[in-house]
Amino acid sequence: MTDIHKTIVVTGIGIVSPYGMGLDYLQAGMLSGKSCLEPTKDVYPGFEGTTAQVRELALLAKNFSSRYSRTDQLAALAAGDAMANSGCDRATFRESGVVMANTVGGLTEIDTGIAEDPAEWYRRPGGLLRGASYPFAHVADAVGEHFGIRGPRCAISVACASGAMAIALAADMLLDGAAPIILAGGSDPLCPFTLSGFNSLRALDPNPCTPFDQNRKGLNLGEGSAVLVLETLAGATARNANILAVLRGWAMTNDAFHPTAPQTQGRGLADCIRLSMEMAEVSGDDIGYVNAHGTGTPLNDIAEANAYETAFRGRNHPIPVSSTKSYFGHCLGAAGALEAAVTIMAVRSGVLLPTLRLTDPIESPGVDWLRGEVKRQPLPLAMSASSGFGGSNTVLIFGSGRS
Amino acid sequence: MTPNLPAVTITGIGSVSPYGPLAGLIPQCSLQPSAITAWTTTGLRRAFLVQPFRPASVVPGLKTRRLDRLSAWALVASSLALKDAGIDLSQVDRSRVAVVFATAFGCVDLTEAFYLSAAANGWNGTDPSTFPETLPSAPASHVSMFHGLRGPNVTVSNKYFAGETALIQAASLLRHGQADVAIVLAGDALAQTLYSWYEVAGLLSPACYNSDPVSEAGGFIPCEGIAALVMELSGRANIRPDARSYARIRAGRWAAGGHPGEIIRQMLGGSVPSLTVCSGNGAPCATSPTIALAREVSGDAAVIILPLAVALGLAGTGALFHLILALSSRPVNGQALLLATAADSGFAALLLELV
Repeated sequence: MTDIHKTIVVTGIGIVSPYGMGLDYLQAGMLSGKSCLEPTKDVYPGFEGTTAQVRELALLAKNFSSRYSRTDQLAALAAGDAMANSGCDRATFRESGVVMANTVGGLTEIDTGIAEDPAEWYRRPGGLLRGASYPFAHVADAVGEHFGIRGPRCAISVACASGAMAIALAADMLLDGAAPIILAGGSDPLCPFTLSGFNSLRALDPNPCTPFDQNRKGLNLGEGSAVLVLETLAGATARNANILAVLRGWAMTNDAFHPTAPQTQGRGLADCIRLSMEMAEVSGDDIGYVNAHGTGTPLNDIAEANAYETAFRGRNHPIPVSSTKSYFGHCLGAAGALEAAVTIMAVRSGVLLPTLRLTDPIESPGVDWLRGEVKRQPLPLAMSASSGFGGSNTVLIFGSGRS
Repeated sequence: MTPNLPAVTITGIGSVSPYGPLAGLIPQCSLQPSAITAWTTTGLRRAFLVQPFRPASVVPGLKTRRLDRLSAWALVASSLALKDAGIDLSQVDRSRVAVVFATAFGCVDLTEAFYLSAAANGWNGTDPSTFPETLPSAPASHVSMFHGLRGPNVTVSNKYFAGETALIQAASLLRHGQADVAIVLAGDALAQTLYSWYEVAGLLSPACYNSDPVSEAGGFIPCEGIAALVMELSGRANIRPDARSYARIRAGRWAAGGHPGEIIRQMLGGSVPSLTVCSGNGAPCATSPTIALAREVSGDAAVIILPLAVALGLAGTGALFHLILALSSRPVNGQALLLATAADSGFAALLLELV
């Protein structure tokens, strides 16, 4: 029997993605099979490759404080969208918590001059304010301050699993009674720092990425933000909230293997999947779809395929898996939150989105690599998997809120 | 974290700080800031600095040649804390050990280095070995890799209460059965870009500019270092014959606003702590509101331990050092509050049972 005080539900979803602002734009764009990936040099001259940008951000964020970095702006816009999507007025969120993930903080506002002569750089007009947005905690403060939210604030940074982990930790906080509602998600922008870093690692595919393809060459960076409104079922029911999904299970593990490479057999991710299913009290057969991490890098995708083979061994049918990074790139600290939103979208509308441009999938008999057309079928439970540098893994399981 | 949940016990302490690398409590001694020599300064500039040491001389076999200082300190501090806790990791299911790390600025040494390489070589000529180590979560990842810990690995931050947040999140992971043991770390390294920011913003104490003894003349003296605590569910620690118990964490709350006194009283559930440890955030002006709040929730009779300048210098990640230094001063047994306030950003409070 469901314990309504220990059941975490999603009552709002806010999105800022390369498709635009709001879940509707994301859903319409993805269902149409539109890719947001475009040549990087059109956005950041001097950089080659392919990225996905939120083009209208300057317009959307024009009324924000000058203290807000691009990361902050994306986060605050998504949080505002999530609150609007929940159908509640702002006062409902006054005592809420804010758990926001990111990886680059305010590095978007900082140039190389800061390292060459820091004091001179800070003395430039706006220098101190630009520097103050550097800590990754600033994103949670930006969301809280912008909306006058005064519950507990926490920033999370665990590389590319950050957004998903923010949701998992927020769920724990709700169980602890830390706040009645928590806005949880992630935000990360494109900036020269990350473009340069991933380029130096030779991790970028110069063309639109091909996750899980045998000929994959790397990832494409994207930017965006997603925020979920999370609360207990008891709280949501008491205020007659519209329940969009149930967070049935979550787990976090670490590979303890390598600073950048995943454990070859995907052991950490497989453990994470197993733990999340144990929490949700479901078996591998109950999961109808996995929204994969699926970066498109040679090492990630094979490790991930191995993880699915291990975690879903014994299933009656291959597990349907796709990577939606093929639509809007890898949004780093926002990726796990954006993909959680895509997973909820899949559960609610019964659509299984294919991986774009997947023509020659990795051989993995236990996995049904979704490609080609969108599939439509009832989807009671779906999973979102995230991994990152340093071996972090987070898995979230969402179910329909209808039952 | 609500009071009716199982308590969590702090069973081990390790630190790398201006006091040196230490297992367990920090011996009481007077500490003065030292002159900065890592970069060129115009005149004397002081801070509480970690003096260079060879990590392998503290943790035999530890290789840190490719690591930045923060990651190296995290490995040393976590090793010392585990040793102090009497935990032999070969006897522990390492998939059940979590790492929770709090930092305000992350691997700022390497972020500086990455920008310098971009300045020198252009954005297309940056150093690939530096980039992944600039992530704020890199030190926590290295702790998991070095010790083979496969449980949750979390890096958190909060402008004023990062250390307190890490303690509360780690206790939450233990209480929800997501780990049996948690290593909590908090700290930062000092770099030129940070020090310059403090200086241009006018936040530094006069003691940063001369050799006078530290006084309460306003401003703060930046500090660097990492503290580590080993935490276990009290039930587990009780059945481990060699486990020590520095303190039990009964509850914790933090918020960015609202009515702190009301929220903390609700957390205390009728308890009246006899001791308050102030875990300030670097700004001396925050101390007085903290004391006022302590008096509001604990009464005039409660003993208040004021923050030491060295821990204040760690800004938002100083909570673990505040606690370790308070425990090192041999406070009375009983219930205690670890309490911090920030003028515009609320409070953090943990209810502790000192044993």
